[in-house]
Order: sequence, then structure tokens, then C-alpha cells
Amino acid sequence: MTAISTSLDLGPPARRRLRAPKFLLAIPGWIWFLAFFAAPLGLVVYNSFGTKIPGTAGDVSMDHLTLDRYRESLNSTFFSVFKTTMQISYIGTLLCFAIGFPVAYWLATRASARFKGVLLGLVIIPFWTNFLIRTLSWTIVLSPEGYLSHQLQSWGILGGPIHILATKTAVQIGVVYNYLPLMIFPLFVALDRLDPTLREASKDLGADPVRTFLRVTVPLAMPGIVAGLLLVYIPLAGDYLTAKILGKAKGNMAGAFIASQVIDAQNVPSGAAMAVILILLILGSILAVGGIGLAISKLLGLARRVDVVEASVR
Amino acid sequence: MSDNEVRILTTPQGAMNLRNEMSRRGFLMLSAGASAAAVLAACGSSKSATATTTKAAGAVGNPAAKSFKLYTWAEYDEPALMQSFGSITIDIFNSNEEAVSKLAGAKGTSGYDMVVPTGGYIPQMAKADLLEALDLTRLSNFKNLDPAYRNQPWDPNNKYSVCKNFGTTGWIYDTQVVKTPVKTWNDFITACQTVAKGNCSVLDTAPNLCGIYFWANGINWTTEKKEDLDACEKFIVNDFAKNLKAFDSYPGINLTKGDYAISQIWNGDARQGLKKLVEAGKDPKRYVWGLGAPKTEIFMDNWCILKGAKNLDASYNFIDFILDPANSAKDLAFHGYNTGLTGIEKLVGADVTYQDMIWVTPEQQKQLESGVVNSAQDRLVDIYNKAKAAAGK
Repeated sequence: MTAISTSLDLGPPARRRLRAPKFLLAIPGWIWFLAFFAAPLGLVVYNSFGTKIPGTAGDVSMDHLTLDRYRESLNSTFFSVFKTTMQISYIGTLLCFAIGFPVAYWLATRASARFKGVLLGLVIIPFWTNFLIRTLSWTIVLSPEGYLSHQLQSWGILGGPIHILATKTAVQIGVVYNYLPLMIFPLFVALDRLDPTLREASKDLGADPVRTFLRVTVPLAMPGIVAGLLLVYIPLAGDYLTAKILGKAKGNMAGAFIASQVIDAQNVPSGAAMAVILILLILGSILAVGGIGLAISKLLGLARRVDVVEASVR
Repeated sequence: MSDNEVRILTTPQGAMNLRNEMSRRGFLMLSAGASAAAVLAACGSSKSATATTTKAAGAVGNPAAKSFKLYTWAEYDEPALMQSFGSITIDIFNSNEEAVSKLAGAKGTSGYDMVVPTGGYIPQMAKADLLEALDLTRLSNFKNLDPAYRNQPWDPNNKYSVCKNFGTTGWIYDTQVVKTPVKTWNDFITACQTVAKGNCSVLDTAPNLCGIYFWANGINWTTEKKEDLDACEKFIVNDFAKNLKAFDSYPGINLTKGDYAISQIWNGDARQGLKKLVEAGKDPKRYVWGLGAPKTEIFMDNWCILKGAKNLDASYNFIDFILDPANSAKDLAFHGYNTGLTGIEKLVGADVTYQDMIWVTPEQQKQLESGVVNSAQDRLVDIYNKAKAAAGK
């Protein structure tokens, strides 16, 4: 419509159309972000400088802002819990990657186009069920008196009931199960986007499949790989329900410890301080791993450098 | 105001209650809500709207109000009985600390109408302005409650609470694993550290966990002495926690799954677990319940109405309903905790199994100690959190 009216040039020069500023489109997102992320986070940080009033059901005094909660939180108890959390998160993320990458690669490059949609759907289907129900179902599967346990015993694979529930193994199984789709999807998108002709070109230029994979596919899929790793690692490090349900006493993650500070100890400032520390530590661990990754890729880049200029002179 | 006139069809008692207690504002809101409900339901005329008013009503003092939200412990009410009362939405918690924090955090917006805290926590909750002062004249069945269970030290004159039931803490163990009989808390600890190592559970509450040490060592579990608490922390965190498989407030419900060789457990939950074993066709004799010794906990849980409750009438109606001896007996047969009504023992039929787990004998009475919330509370929770960290290593 606009195009027609301007080209006809009717009457006096049309007033310059008022154009809404471009940032208007971002406003809903920003409001949401400020109200439901920035503001609560600010409250957490603010509360972490407070003091619990003893003998109350969790009233907080903000009269004297203090760093004491941080000092108290940096004790050995919190760090031992944090160490467990990191261990479960790192192993969980790596397992998700190890399992998720081949699946995504196969879906993107090998699966027939006709069934791709269906296969992707199958990856999402578990998400139609509530997270808690999915996790609780594992307690039935892994129960020592459960079907799996009986079946494995009757086949003679196991000598006695399985004792996986309430161990770190159960937690590891649970988190990989719960977060795997979050790994597969970004990887699939990244790999699917790759033009197959690039791989063919690599082959034509004499690269074997391994070399093509390592030098063409993986570098180009890097954004997807990083997205997948972060999407799994960050929520996993903060998750504690999976660990609590499947690990019981052995699944005490930092998130649970913080929740217990707020719920059982009724000490919001202490829980808030721990939450801030946890956020900083997770951020720090990402930066550290990211830094190492960058350094390695730089070094690899140096090692693999092909000096084109020199070659052309000769 | 003739436009707002609404004709209400109700019982004489209901009409009186309505006239006496309904504020004008509530009345207008009610009529608007009722008309809307009626219109939506039947797309009827305004006349049919007036006729359906009483059914849709949630008026003050309305005996027909049967819908409310309850925040309580798991497996604590007989489902069919609850259904026969009306529509009750139930959410559960694992410990008093959890319930109090969540209610205090919501500051009256939790959406729950009633909560079932243990006696010792009521002063704290009342102080935090979480509880509605009760009008006992609205509870015609309050007289059925044995005077011994009224007017408790933590709530004089039942200002905020009415006894729901009381229970005790003990243990249940699998005799195929724990072959020496468990007679005292010391035996319990020994079992956890030896034959049932890594296969035992404790209740998911700080006072109960620390109680194991105090009861085993002849210390009153309401102690506020620093040296007692230090010794408790040293034992629980350094020696005991690593043996634990779980912090589980309801090990009985899952007894059939065979999750634990020995568990700290409340008597009613233990009884429900044994009943479930029978239902599942398994041998209930494999598991043995024992009341904590030489000392252990007795707790009284109570019906409390929350400040800001939207369904005040339904809440009163329900407390009165559950204080009816016949209903109380049905509920008791399910949850297995003594409800404290006068003569309730006689109303519970012989068909109710495991009655020895319900009633406390005069001899057992000497073993029992009530808990209190005192200056040691924060320390107990600290020990409990450290124990959780130590158990998860």
C-alpha cells in the first residue's frame, strides 16, 4: 500500500511518516527481563547483605548492611557441596555431549528427510510430560524391587537387586536423561545448517572423512556446540530436584543447600549470599573453560597454519 | 437498591447465619458472582440466577461451604472421607520448618486456608501473624475433644489451633538385614553404622535428626546447652551422616519398594507401610516397628486456619466435620494417629489392623517427650544442613 501511494505522488508532498523508534519491538522483552529476572536478582543481592532476626519465621533486618553472610557462606560445608555439584554438572554436560552429538549428527546428515520431522518429534516427546513425573518415573525403573531389577536378576545378569537409586550414578543418569534434548537441539540446528557441498568440497580436495569432520564440520558447528554446552551446563548446575529425587542423601547439590538455608533455616540472607556465590562460581567456571577452549583453538590454529603467501612466491 | 435484590433459598439456620454475618459488600459480591456463575452454567434468565444463588454461595457462616485448600503432611487424611466432605485441595510438606517458611514468605498470599503444624511451632507462627484466631463457638463438635488435648502450653485456650492428632517417633527395620532386634536409639545407630550402612533413612527434619543423638545419650532433646549441641553436631556430622541413604519424612509409604533396611519413622506412617505390604501380598512380618527408647518424641499436630484464608467457612465446617466422632474414627483407621477424641478407642472397630501402633500404653507414655521451638532451633537446622552436606560427599 505504502509503495503505491508514494509512487503515485498525489497532492502536496506527504508529511514525513512518523516512524516508531526501532527499540519499540524490544520493549516487551526488556520489561519481562527487568521484572522477572533483573529485579528478583537485585532483591537476592540486596538481601544477601541483611541479617536474619533470630526467633522469627525468617524476618530480615536490613538496618546494617553487612558482608558477614558471605563470610559465613564461604565455609567448608558449602564448598564441599559445591564440589559435588560441579562434579555432577561437568560429567553430566560431557555425557550429554558425548551422547547428543552423534544423535544430532546422524539426524542432520544421515537420517532421511522424510522422517526427520518425526525423529525430532521423538526427541521432544518426553518434554510433554512434567519434569517431576519424568524424574520420579526413574525411581520406579531403578528401584531394587522394580521391574528392571527383577528382570535382570531372572536373566541371571545380576546376582542381587540393583542398588543404583540413592547413589551418584542415579543422579548422573537422571540429569543426562533430563537435559539431553537441550543438547541435541542446538547441535542439530548447527549441523543441519551446514551446506553438504562443503563436506563434498573437502573430500574433493583430498581430505579423508575424519579430517573433513574435524576441520570442516566441527568448526562450523561450533556455535551450536557452545550453545548446547551452556544450555545444559547452566541449568544443570542449578538443578537440585533431579539430584534430590534420584540421589536422595547422595544428591545434595548446591541448589538444595541454598533452598534449605531459605526453607529450613529460614535464613534468606544466608541463602541469598550463597546464591550470589553460586552464580559467580558458575560464571567463573564458564569463563575458565571458555578461555581454555579459545587458547587451545588458537594454538591449533597456529599449528595448522598454511603459509599461502610463501607458497605463491615460489 | 432494588436492582441488587437477590432472593436466596436456604435452610432456616443458613438464613440466620446469612443475615447475621454477611456484610453488605460481601453480599453484593456474592450476588454478582452467583449470577455470573448461574448465567455461565445455564445461560438462564435472571430469575434462574436468583434461584441458584445458595448453591453457588460461599457466604460467611455458610454451612454449605465445602471447598478449601489444605497444607498438610502426606497421607494424613482418609481420601474417601475427604471426598465425602467436599472439594479439598491438598498440598504437602516435609517439615514444620518448610511449612512455616513458605507461609511466612507468602505473607498471606499462599492461597491455603488451613495448615497442620506441630504444636511447638504455633507460637512462632502466631507471632508472625500467620494464623487466624479461632472462634470456638463455631465448632459445635469441639466438646468431643478430650480435655487432656485441649489448652496446650503452646496454645492456651486453643486460640489458634485444634488438635488434629498426636503421634510418636520410632523406627522400622527389615529383619532380613537387621537381624539383632533394635530396642533403643543406640541399637538404631549401631544398625545404621554396621549391617544397614548406606541403607538407612532418617526423618527429613532437623529436630528429629538431632533427636536421635539426644535420645540415645539420655539428653533431653529440647536442650539449649552449647556443649550438648556441639557434641550432637560432632556425632551426627562426622560419624553418623555418611551412613545415610536418605532424609525421608515418609519412608513408610514406600516400604513395599524396599528402599531402606532401617528407617526413622512416625508411627502412623509405619503402620500405613505395613498395611500396604499386606495389600501388595508381601510378608509384613519381615518389617518390625519399634517405639523410640529410652526416650522419644510425642508430637501433636493441629488444625489451624491461616490469616487471609479465602474459605473461612469451609475451614470451620471442616474442623467441625472432622471432630465428629464417626468421621474421626474413619480418619484414624486410615492414618493411624490417635485423634484424641473422648472415647475414640471404642469407636475404632476390631477390623482396624495394627492397633498396637496407634495407642500409647501408660508405660510407653513415660518414654515420650514433647518438642519445643527454642533458642537451639537455628543450631539444630545448621547441624541438619551440615549432615546433608556430609551425607552427599
